[in-house]
Amino acid sequence: MPEPRSGRRRPLSRRAVLAAAAVGLSTALTASLSACSSSGDVSSGGVTLTFSWWGNDDRAARTKKAVELFEKEHPGVTVRTSNADFGSYMQKLATQAAGGGIPDVAQLDYRQISQYAGGGALLPLGDALADGTIRTSEMDEEFVRTGLYEGEQYALPMGRGITGYAYDSAVYEKAGIPTPRPDWTWEEWARANRRITDLGLESPDGRTVVGANDNGVNEDIFEDWLRSRGGKLYRSQTELGFTEDDLTEFWTFCDKLRDEGVVAEAEDTSQANTTELSPMGRGLAAADFTWDAPFPGYTALLGDQVHFAPVPTADGRQGAYFKPSMLLGVGAGSEHPKEAAALVDFLLNDERAGDVLGFTRSTPPNRGIAARVARTLEGAEKEIYEYAQRMEKYGLDAPPPAPPRGDVAIQTAFKRAYHRVMYDLASPRAAAREFIDEAERELRS
Amino acid sequence: MNLTTRRWIPHTIAVVGLLVLLYPLAWLLATSLKPADEVVTSLDLWPSHLEWSNYTTALDGVSGVPVTRLLWNTVLIAGGAVVGNVVSCSLAAYAFARLRFRMSKVMFAFMVATLMLPHHVVLIPQYIIFNQLGMVDTYWPLILPKFLATEAFFVFLIVQFMRGLPRELEESARIDGCGAFRTYWSVTLPLSRPALITTAIFTFIWTWNDFFTQMIYLFAPEKFTITLALRSFVDQSSTSAYGPMFAMSVISVLPIVLFFFVFQRYLVQGMATSGLKG
Amino acid sequence: MSTVSTRAPARADGPAGTRPPARRRRARRREQRWPAYVFLTPWMLGAAVLTLVPMAVSLYLSFTDYNLFDPPRWVGLRNYQEMLTEDPRFWRSVGTTLLYVVIAVPLKLLLALGAAMLLKNLGRGRAFYRSAFYAPSLLGASMTIALVWRALFNDGGSVVDILGSVGIDTGGWVGSPDLAVYVIVLLTVWQFGAPMVIFLAGLQQISPELYEAAALDGAGRWRQFVSVTVPMLSPVVFFNLVLEMIQSFQVFTPAFAVSGGEGGPADSTLFYTLYLYERGFTASHMGYAAAMAWLLLVVIGIITLILFRTSRSWVFYADEEGR
Repeated sequence: MPEPRSGRRRPLSRRAVLAAAAVGLSTALTASLSACSSSGDVSSGGVTLTFSWWGNDDRAARTKKAVELFEKEHPGVTVRTSNADFGSYMQKLATQAAGGGIPDVAQLDYRQISQYAGGGALLPLGDALADGTIRTSEMDEEFVRTGLYEGEQYALPMGRGITGYAYDSAVYEKAGIPTPRPDWTWEEWARANRRITDLGLESPDGRTVVGANDNGVNEDIFEDWLRSRGGKLYRSQTELGFTEDDLTEFWTFCDKLRDEGVVAEAEDTSQANTTELSPMGRGLAAADFTWDAPFPGYTALLGDQVHFAPVPTADGRQGAYFKPSMLLGVGAGSEHPKEAAALVDFLLNDERAGDVLGFTRSTPPNRGIAARVARTLEGAEKEIYEYAQRMEKYGLDAPPPAPPRGDVAIQTAFKRAYHRVMYDLASPRAAAREFIDEAERELRS
Repeated sequence: MNLTTRRWIPHTIAVVGLLVLLYPLAWLLATSLKPADEVVTSLDLWPSHLEWSNYTTALDGVSGVPVTRLLWNTVLIAGGAVVGNVVSCSLAAYAFARLRFRMSKVMFAFMVATLMLPHHVVLIPQYIIFNQLGMVDTYWPLILPKFLATEAFFVFLIVQFMRGLPRELEESARIDGCGAFRTYWSVTLPLSRPALITTAIFTFIWTWNDFFTQMIYLFAPEKFTITLALRSFVDQSSTSAYGPMFAMSVISVLPIVLFFFVFQRYLVQGMATSGLKG
Repeated sequence: MSTVSTRAPARADGPAGTRPPARRRRARRREQRWPAYVFLTPWMLGAAVLTLVPMAVSLYLSFTDYNLFDPPRWVGLRNYQEMLTEDPRFWRSVGTTLLYVVIAVPLKLLLALGAAMLLKNLGRGRAFYRSAFYAPSLLGASMTIALVWRALFNDGGSVVDILGSVGIDTGGWVGSPDLAVYVIVLLTVWQFGAPMVIFLAGLQQISPELYEAAALDGAGRWRQFVSVTVPMLSPVVFFNLVLEMIQSFQVFTPAFAVSGGEGGPADSTLFYTLYLYERGFTASHMGYAAAMAWLLLVVIGIITLILFRTSRSWVFYADEEGR
């Protein structure tokens, strides 16, 4: 890039170039800004709905196709869609809720229901359910109740998820560990980790492959552990359902295995925020606790020898339960609640929509659709469907009511408190006490 | 000999510095060509084989919006921001640097103070304002503030530059009968070119990379920017596509590289080449 | 304002510099006041609507309990009190941020000034090097850059290996509560392009005649640097110092990207604004977040004020020359 040698005649031409660029740009800008405002308006007397969700590109493509079917079915209704990754989506939805209202139809996380319903951001769906705009006859009653807040239905589950255990069956075979069954225990799990580590397999970065991730950071797994012993995470909307002793015991168990070196090291656990970055995803561990929906990501990344097994139990009683992986709600400020409810119903109950959406939001809550779609499933998706059926047959306890308002903060606090255990900044008991103090403060406020 | 060493020392330092600085960029480029299983695990710079499909996936765009559209959207926003900042910030800066008015110190202090408040807490009040104005899901919330000189950084920057200019030129212009506007336009502004070019370059790059505001205000995917699209490759709750994300990252940086290469050379001419003669 | 010498930000910020003699001043006032407001119109509009109002709202919120959903509830100084007396994480985040500011600001500015001086002394290839030095800053702190830095600073990554080969065994930095903060320091220092460009532009602004005059007086390179470059560049140094300081106190994006938004491991990269964000948006305590923001504003404001005061003794403005 030669530098101009003299400033003599250049300023003029340079200025001309810049001016031309500025003029061109501002013309384009005005054109597109006005285009924006016109396209945002209601099209020719019809109804325009907004609908947003989080998730990856595959989910976006399928959801858009389902929405197109809905538009064809309801002439005059246009649906404007938007999607983002989970983190961005949460931030954006909170801003919208505080600053002018969420979209007509929004995908919600289970942990948010109390907050959004209690804060008046969601429209109660009682009427739509009563007049049959939204049908729930094909869904489990217990499961529909997960969208309740103070006795009123504010959202409907859009997918049914369950925790489980992704493990590398080749490694398990090599270590001589039997296939995990729904009644396997935490002790068996700990032994399995030791045997895998003893194999001395080498990971891509040269370290020994260990048994599993360190699940001390994972509040979902702690909940399964509690439920398996007959406990629960929350007693009510303002009270925790477990004691300092319970949590100390759980963290001591995790802490000991990590000290032994049979589960992932602290520095790998602390960096695991996606499948790809988890110790298992990086080839450092042979197994990982996860939800069923992300499971196909593990097989895609690591191969077909990865299978999905139940979470261990205390004494045969399964702690896992069917949880809404996400719910659909209608914005309190929606100008077209009728159409919005119709869209919710369409996404949940229409067979063609069901075919298009498939298992992109884990198992559809509508039994008919789930069974219908299940016939077309293959590989990892088929495995999680069969897993869910097997667990259902084995017997699971009913899901708890939607978690209280402070739940999101409590979940991050859980992870953080265990970090202090992992890095020897606090004993399991001290960390448990700190966490419970913080959680109780959240629940009170 | 003395002369040769003198010439070589800076060049040697520059080359060494360059290698250190560019190594992470080489890593970025190399990663964008790695196959999926190496993207986050491999410790080698070089991919085992070149995975061009990362680029073809990235070029397909996201949510059905092609990458060209995403780039064009981003260019519009960044370009609008550049025009807005250069015009409005230089106007305000001239007043602060050269003109006298009531409460000038208070206003200046306020302007600097606006830099100090973390923007997360004004996000919601601002969102409410733009929502009331019906501007959510348009480019206005991203561009309009720039035309209103809300980026105090640049006002401050140009003030500092203008204050570094000798007053004599302006005073002689004034003696020649120029008013404040003529003086601003024909004397101060040309002399401030390095600051204005700096403002333009920074605005372009920073707006380009400003994920946060774009994320909050844009709803429809066809209005999305390349920076927003970059995020949609990774999702905590489902599977991620790191390879295409790296490829998209390389693609997204090309226009800013181009912009910088084109405009940075205007930085060279300060007073040294054109100012005092103009 | 005329004769009242305000206490506000000292003279160095002083918009129109020193005061001319009274007679001229009166004449000027008449001639110059109204154009100033015309020049300031866009700024005043933006300041009033887009800045002042949201700031006032956030100040109000800082005295309330506000969870983004229900109407804010007045709690007086409760947020401030909780922050200062009951919240260990608040103080941890203050410590981390101070450490960051004290290390990153001088490092980045020295590197930027060094690079700018180097570029000035390069003859051929200057444009190329200038672009190349700026290149890291083009990327911002995106998620991809964060992943690259993780790869370089993790166990087995290039940086850790190189240090290991010269006998410094650090282990991975990203997963270490003691070292993770330096990964972020190095990431921001690496992107020193902005202050470098500002320094460069400042250097360009120095009239070559000053150097010629100094050379005629027999000044060597060092002497020229001290007696011409330093004073002439001081407004720009001041600007960069103030701005980098303010921005460093608010460091957010690099830490957010590298730690995946969590400020981990074990809160070791939980910078002030990251914690503020977590309180405000993740935990929905926007009142608390607003209180944190205003406390930060006051602290940065005081430091800036001190810098402005001291600047009188070391910042040299051409427009005050010879008055």
